[in-house]
Amino acid sequence: AMAGGLEPHLEALQRELGGHDPAVLSVLLALLVVVVTLLIWRFVQGRRSSRKAVLLLGLCDAGKTLLFARLLTGKYRDTQTSITDSSAVYRVSNDKSTSVTLIDLPGHESLRLQFLERFKAAARAIVFVVDSVAFQREVKDVAEFLYQVLIDSTVLQNAPALVVACNKQDVTMAKSAKLIQQQLEKELNTLRVTRSAAPTSLDGSGTGGPAQLGKKGKDFDFSQLPMKVEFVECSARGSKGEEGDADFEDLKKWLAKIA
Amino acid sequence: ERGGNNSFTHEALTLKYKLDNQFELVFVVGFQKILTLTYVDKLIDDVHKEFRDKYRNEFQQKGTLGLLNGTFDFKDDFMRLLRDAEESSKVRAPTVMKTFEQSLKSQKTVKCMIETRGEKPKEKVKNKKNKSSKKEGTEAVAASSKASAGDKQPSAAGEREELTKDEILQKNREEFFKRHMKAGEKSRSPKPEAQKEKGKKPRVWDLGNSNPKVLDYSNSATNGSAEACPVEEFDPDTALGDRNREPGRLYDLEYESDDEAEEEKVVQNPSKPSAKKGGLGGMFGMLKGLVGSKSLTREDMDPVLEKMKDHLIAKNVAAEIAVQLCESVAKKLEGKVMGTFTTVTSTVKQALQEALVQILQPQRRVDVLRDVMDAQRHRRPYVVTFCGVNGVGKSTNLAKISFWLIENGFSVLIAACDTFRAGAVEQLRTHTRRLNALHPPENHGGRTMVQLYEKGYGKDAAGIAMEAISYARNQGFDVVLVDTAGRMQDNAPLMTALAKLIAVNAPDLVLFVGEALVGNEAVDQLVKFNKALADHSMAQTPRLIDGIVLTKFDTIDDKVGAAISMTYITSKPIVFVGTGQTYCDLRSLNAKAVVAALMKA
Repeated sequence: AMAGGLEPHLEALQRELGGHDPAVLSVLLALLVVVVTLLIWRFVQGRRSSRKAVLLLGLCDAGKTLLFARLLTGKYRDTQTSITDSSAVYRVSNDKSTSVTLIDLPGHESLRLQFLERFKAAARAIVFVVDSVAFQREVKDVAEFLYQVLIDSTVLQNAPALVVACNKQDVTMAKSAKLIQQQLEKELNTLRVTRSAAPTSLDGSGTGGPAQLGKKGKDFDFSQLPMKVEFVECSARGSKGEEGDADFEDLKKWLAKIA
Repeated sequence: ERGGNNSFTHEALTLKYKLDNQFELVFVVGFQKILTLTYVDKLIDDVHKEFRDKYRNEFQQKGTLGLLNGTFDFKDDFMRLLRDAEESSKVRAPTVMKTFEQSLKSQKTVKCMIETRGEKPKEKVKNKKNKSSKKEGTEAVAASSKASAGDKQPSAAGEREELTKDEILQKNREEFFKRHMKAGEKSRSPKPEAQKEKGKKPRVWDLGNSNPKVLDYSNSATNGSAEACPVEEFDPDTALGDRNREPGRLYDLEYESDDEAEEEKVVQNPSKPSAKKGGLGGMFGMLKGLVGSKSLTREDMDPVLEKMKDHLIAKNVAAEIAVQLCESVAKKLEGKVMGTFTTVTSTVKQALQEALVQILQPQRRVDVLRDVMDAQRHRRPYVVTFCGVNGVGKSTNLAKISFWLIENGFSVLIAACDTFRAGAVEQLRTHTRRLNALHPPENHGGRTMVQLYEKGYGKDAAGIAMEAISYARNQGFDVVLVDTAGRMQDNAPLMTALAKLIAVNAPDLVLFVGEALVGNEAVDQLVKFNKALADHSMAQTPRLIDGIVLTKFDTIDDKVGAAISMTYITSKPIVFVGTGQTYCDLRSLNAKAVVAALMKA
C-alpha cells in the first residue's frame, strides 16, 4: 500500500520536473548536493569532536601544565601560570591506536570558570589535580572548586569519569590520596549545605543546582555521585628530579582505561 | 580585563608587556622603577618582531606539541637587540657649537649695540634697516644719502638677512648726520610732548556735562506718587498661565521623550552616509572574513568599540570604566585572526561579554555561612560591618541579612553604631522585634535569635562596636552585625572615624553598601572609602572593603552598569543584592544574567 501510495507521487514529481528547463534542474540538484554535504560534514564533525577531551583542572600551582607537558613529551619544562588553555592529542599507549585530546586549563580564580564553561561540554573525563603538599592549607578552596565542577548541570548530565590526581607526591610532606579523599568528603558535606542555603539567584534560577550533591540524609561520599571517581597519586616532577621521568603510572593506566 | 594599561609596577620593579594575539605570545620586560629607560618600548617591539619571524613556522604548523618540544634559543638574539637599543638611546652626536663667526652677533657692530639716551632703543638690526631705508626712500634729504641710497635700495629691496659691516657703518653714519640736522627739530618736538604729559587731565565724555541736573532723566513727578503710574493692561490669563491648574499644587517636571528621539535621528543621519561608504569596504571585508585569515586591526575595531562604549555608558556603567574596558578589549583582540563566518562586531561583542563575566565573577567567593561555621567552631563571633554613603539602605539590608542568617540557624547580635541619624536605633529596634516575632525563641531551643545592642545617640561608634563584640562573645552569639552611620566620601573626619572603627575592631567582613542607581559616583565613593581605610590603618595589610552589597536593584530595569563599576574598582565580589523592602528580598548575583541584561540592545 505504501509503494502504491508512493508511485503516483513519483510520477507526478517526474512530470513536474520534466516540464522545467534542464538548466534550472541541474542548478537545483547542485544546491541540494551542497546542502546535504554540509549537513553530513557538520554531523560528522560533531560526532568526532563530541566528548573526546580530557580536561586538566585544579587550583593554581597544582601542577597541571607540567603534568600536561610530561604526558605529551616526557620531558620536564619550566612552566608559568597559565592564562589560556592548551590542547594536544595524546596517544594512550604505543600499541593501541586510541587517542584523546588533553586540554590543560588555567587554574587562576578569575579564569577557571570561564574556561570550564567553554570546554565542559566536550569533556569525556576530568583530571582534577590537587597539590598534596599545600592541601592542608587550601582544603577549602580545593573543595569549593571541586564543588563548582561537580554541581555544574552539564557535568552532572554527561557524568564524565573523574580522577583526583594527588600531585607532588615526591615531596615528603605530601598527604596521601586516602587522607585527601576523607578531607574532601567532609568539606563537601559542609559546602553543599551552605551553598544551597545561599540566597537565590537574581532571576530565581535555582540555588546551587537542580539537585544536591549526593544523598540528603547521609554524609557526603564520592560514591554517591553519578560518575566514577577515583583517587590516584602521582608526581609530575618525578622522584629522580628534573632529568628523570615523571611518576604517574596510575594516572596513565586510568587514562588508558577511559580512552 | 585591565589590559588597557601596558605597564605594571610592583615594589621596586616596573613591568611593561606586549601581547601578540595572533600567536598568543606575551612579551614582558622588567626593569627597575627608578630608571627611566627610553628604549624599552622600542626594545619590546623589536624583540616581538624578531621572535615572531624566527619561530613563525613552529607556531603555525606544529601547534602545542611544537611549543612543548621546541627549543627556543633566543638568548643571543635578545642580547644583540638589547645592546642595539641601549646604544641607540645613549649615543647621539653632541651638537657642535656654532663658532663665534657663524653667529649673528658678530654681524652687528659695536655702535648699533650702544643705546644712547633720548633715542628710541634699537630693537632689531633687520627692522632698523628696513625702517631706515624707507625713511631714506621717502625723504630725499641729506646730500650724502643720495649716493648711498643707490647702494641701499638693492640691499633693502632684497630684505637680506646678512649685513656686511661696511654697510652697517655707512647706514649708521647717515643716520647720525640726519639726526644732527634734525636735531633742532627733534629736540623741540619732545618738549611739548613732555609738557602735555605733565598734568593728568580728566577724561571728557561726549555726552557728559559737569552739570548733574542735565544728567537727571527722572521725572520728578513719578517717584512717590502712586497715581502717576499709567494704568497698564493687566491680563490675568497670561500672567497666571495655565488656567486649569489647581491652586497650590506643585507639578512634576514634564518628561519630554520627543527631544531624545529627535536627537537620535540627527545623530543617525551623519552616521548613515559613512555606513554606506563603509558598505562596499565592509562587503569586501566580509568576503575576506568568510574565506578566513583576516586579522583584526585597530581601525576595524574602533567604530564597534565606540558603539559598545556608548551602549555601556547608557546602561549606567561609569564612563571611565567603560573607556578602560573597551581599551582592554581592543588590546586583547588586536592582531587576532578571526575565524570563518565571524564578523568584527560579533568578535568584539563576544570578547566584551567574556570580559564582563570575568569582572563579575569574583576572585574569591565570599561564602558567609561557611565562614560563620568556622568562627562558630573557634567560639568567637563573626563580625560584619556595613558602611556606605547616606541613604543607600544599610539598615534595611542589615535586617534582611539577619533574617537570612536566622533562617539558617545562627543567632545574631545587631550593634547600633549609627549614633547620629535620628531614629536609627528605633529602626533597628523595630526590626529586632519583628524578627523575634517571626522566629520566636521557642522554635530555636529557647534562645533569642536576634538581639539589639545599643547605647543611645551621640556616643563613639567604635567604642560601642567593641563592647558589642565582647558582649556577643560572652553570650555566645554567632554573628555580630554592625550598622554604621551613612557618610559622604569627602567628609574627612567621618571617614577617619569609620576607618578607626574598622581598624580597632578588626571585623571579619567589611561590606560596602551601594545602591544600583548610582552612576559615575560609584567610582569616587569606592576609591575614597578604600583610601580612607588604607590610610588610617596601622597594620601592615590594611583591612579594605571585602565585599559589596548592591541595593535597590528592583528600581533599575536593565541599567545594571553599577554592578560592573563597583566590582571593577574594588575587584571584590558582590555578596548580596537587595531587591526590595521585605525580608525575603535578598538575592545573590547571577553574573550571566547581569551581563545578558547589559549586552541586550
